[in-house]
Amino acid sequence: MIYLLHQSIDHLAARDPDKAAFCIPGQSLSYGEMAASTNQLAHLLAEHGVERGDRVGIFTPRGLESAIAVYGILKAGAAFVPIDPQLPSTALARLVDDCGIRVLVTHNAQKQVINAYAAEHTALDLVVGLDSAVNGIATLSWSQLDQFPAAAAPSVRATEGDLAYIMYSSGSTGTPKGIMHTHRSGLAYARLSADVYGISGDDRIANHSPLHFDMSTLGYFTAMYAGATTVMIPEAYTKIAASLAQLLEAQGVTIWYSVPLALIQLLQRGLIETRDLSRIRWVLFGGEPFPVKHLQELMRRWPQARFSNVYGPAEVNQCTYYHIPRDSDGEPQIDTDQPVPLGAVWQNTEGLILAPDDTPVVPGAEGELVICSPTMMHGYWGRPELNAHAFYRQPLYEGFDKVYYRTGDLVRTREDGELLFLGRMDRQVKVRGYRIELDDIEHALTLHPGVEEAAVYPVKADGGVNHIEASVLARGGGSLEPEALKAHLAQRISAYAVPGRIWVRKEFPRTTSGKIDRRALQAAAENPTTVGT
Amino acid sequence: MEQIEVQNNLIDFVVSELLNDRTDVDLQPQDDLLSSQLVDSLGVMRIIAFLEERYGIRIPPSDVTIENFIDVQTISTYLVRSNG
Repeated sequence: MIYLLHQSIDHLAARDPDKAAFCIPGQSLSYGEMAASTNQLAHLLAEHGVERGDRVGIFTPRGLESAIAVYGILKAGAAFVPIDPQLPSTALARLVDDCGIRVLVTHNAQKQVINAYAAEHTALDLVVGLDSAVNGIATLSWSQLDQFPAAAAPSVRATEGDLAYIMYSSGSTGTPKGIMHTHRSGLAYARLSADVYGISGDDRIANHSPLHFDMSTLGYFTAMYAGATTVMIPEAYTKIAASLAQLLEAQGVTIWYSVPLALIQLLQRGLIETRDLSRIRWVLFGGEPFPVKHLQELMRRWPQARFSNVYGPAEVNQCTYYHIPRDSDGEPQIDTDQPVPLGAVWQNTEGLILAPDDTPVVPGAEGELVICSPTMMHGYWGRPELNAHAFYRQPLYEGFDKVYYRTGDLVRTREDGELLFLGRMDRQVKVRGYRIELDDIEHALTLHPGVEEAAVYPVKADGGVNHIEASVLARGGGSLEPEALKAHLAQRISAYAVPGRIWVRKEFPRTTSGKIDRRALQAAAENPTTVGT
Repeated sequence: MEQIEVQNNLIDFVVSELLNDRTDVDLQPQDDLLSSQLVDSLGVMRIIAFLEERYGIRIPPSDVTIENFIDVQTISTYLVRSNG
C-alpha cells in the first residue's frame, strides 16, 4: 500500500529496477539506483541526527541530485524544504532560521554563497554535497554517500499525516510564507494529476520548473507515482529555446508543464518547425494567463497534442483544469475576448465562490474562490496569525466544520459552468509564474535613504506578459540613480522581483484623495509616448 | 573585430545592464552565464540585441545555442568566427 510519497520509488524499484526514473542530458538514474541512493542519503541523515519531523533544506539547481535529495530526506522521516538556489546568503539565513533547518543538501555550484553564509551565521550543523570544507560547518560530499547502506532505508515510523515538504512562497521581501504539505496532500495531487492526464509508465515528463516552484510536483511526485520518467531540464536549456527544442526531441518528451513564457519562447525562437516533437501528447501550462494569440499558434503547430490550463495556488497544488477544445479539423476553440477559463474543480474537490461577508454569491456573480480538497496544505509554517485567516470554515454539523482554503483569487462562473479568473483581492501579481507582492517591493524601495515615495506596478509587455516597473520620488528633490536603486533591491529581494525599469520622477500623478495614481503610471508605461521622467 | 575587445565590451554590458553592477560578482570570460543564475532567458535576448547593435551584425536564431552562448569567451569566439 502506498501512503507515503517515497513508497512509490521502492515499489517501482522492486518491479522495474532498470527503468529510468530521472534523466538529464547524458545521464540518467534508474528506479533501482534511485532507491539505493535515497536509502544511502536517508542513513547519512539519520546518523547525523536527523529525525522524524525535522526540516532539511535542498539548496541545489535542478538535476539528479535534487531528486535524490527529495526522496532521501523523506525516507529519513524528515520534510524537505526547497530553497531558491539563487537566494543571496542573507535570505538563505532568514529562511534557515524561520524553518529551523540544521541540515542542508546542496551542490558544489552553491559553494560561494554557503561560504558567505558561514562567515556570518551558525544555525547549520551539516552541509551535504560539497567537495570542500566550509568554515565552522561539517560537510560531506555526494561521493561519501557510498559509505552508507543502500539495500533498505532506516526504519522510521511515518504516517500519511506527517509533514513531507514546506514550499516557501511570496518570499520577495519581508517574511516568506512556508506552505506545509503532508504526504497525504502530496500523494493526493500525484493521484489526481496522474488520473486526469492518464499518465503511465510510457510517459516522459519534462520538468522545467525549479524545485522551489510548485509546478515541479508533477515531475517529482506524479511521474514517480505513475512509474513514468522525468526529464530534468537543466538551467541552461531554460534560457536558450533552440537548444531546449533539440532536447525535447532527443529525449522523446511526451508531457510538458511550464509557465506560458517558456512556451512562447519555444514558439518564437525554438525553431520548433525543424524538430520532430510529435511525441508530445499533453501541454500543461499555468501560473499566469497564456496570451490567446500565442496559445492558438502553438496549438496549430502541435496538432497532435492536447492543451490544458492548470490552476491552483501552491497551497492546494492544483484544483481546476480546462482542456482547450478543438473542432473536428483540430482548430483551437478559444474565445479571444476573455482569458482562457480556469475550468471546473477536479475530482474529490469542492469550490465555493464567496461574497465579502462569506455568503455564497448568486450564480454568475464575482467572488473569492475557496477550495476544499485532499491536496490542500496543512497550513503556514509557524504563522498562526496567517492560518487564522487562510481558511474558511463551513459548519456542517455540531463540531464538524468543512475547511476550505481562501485562494484570494476573484472568479465568476460562466454560463457553461467554467470558472473565469478576474483578478486578485490583494496586489499580488504573477511574473513568469512567480508570485510577487507589489507592496513588498514598494516597502523595500522606501528603505533606501534617498527615496521619499515609491510606486510599483505591473506593465503588460509585448505578448501580454507581465513586467514590473517602479517609479520613485527622491527625498528632498535630490538626485537618484535607477541602477543604484536596483542594486539596493537586489540585496533585499529575489532577482525576479527587482523591477526591470525604475523611473525617478519629480512628481507622481495623484488620485483625488492624494494617493499615488498607480493606474496612471501603469498606463503611461504601457503607452511610452506619454512617459515623462 | 578583435576577440579581446568583444570580450571586454560584453563583460561591461553584462555587469552593468544585467547584473545591476552587483559588487559580489567578479565576472570572468569563462564563467558559465547560463547554468548559474547570472543571466535569465530575457538576459540572453538582451545580449543578442546588444551585440547586433554594437557590431552591426545579425545573429541567426539557429546560432543561438548553448554551445555558442555558454560564457563570454565562447560568445566572443563565435562572433569573431562568424563575422571576421
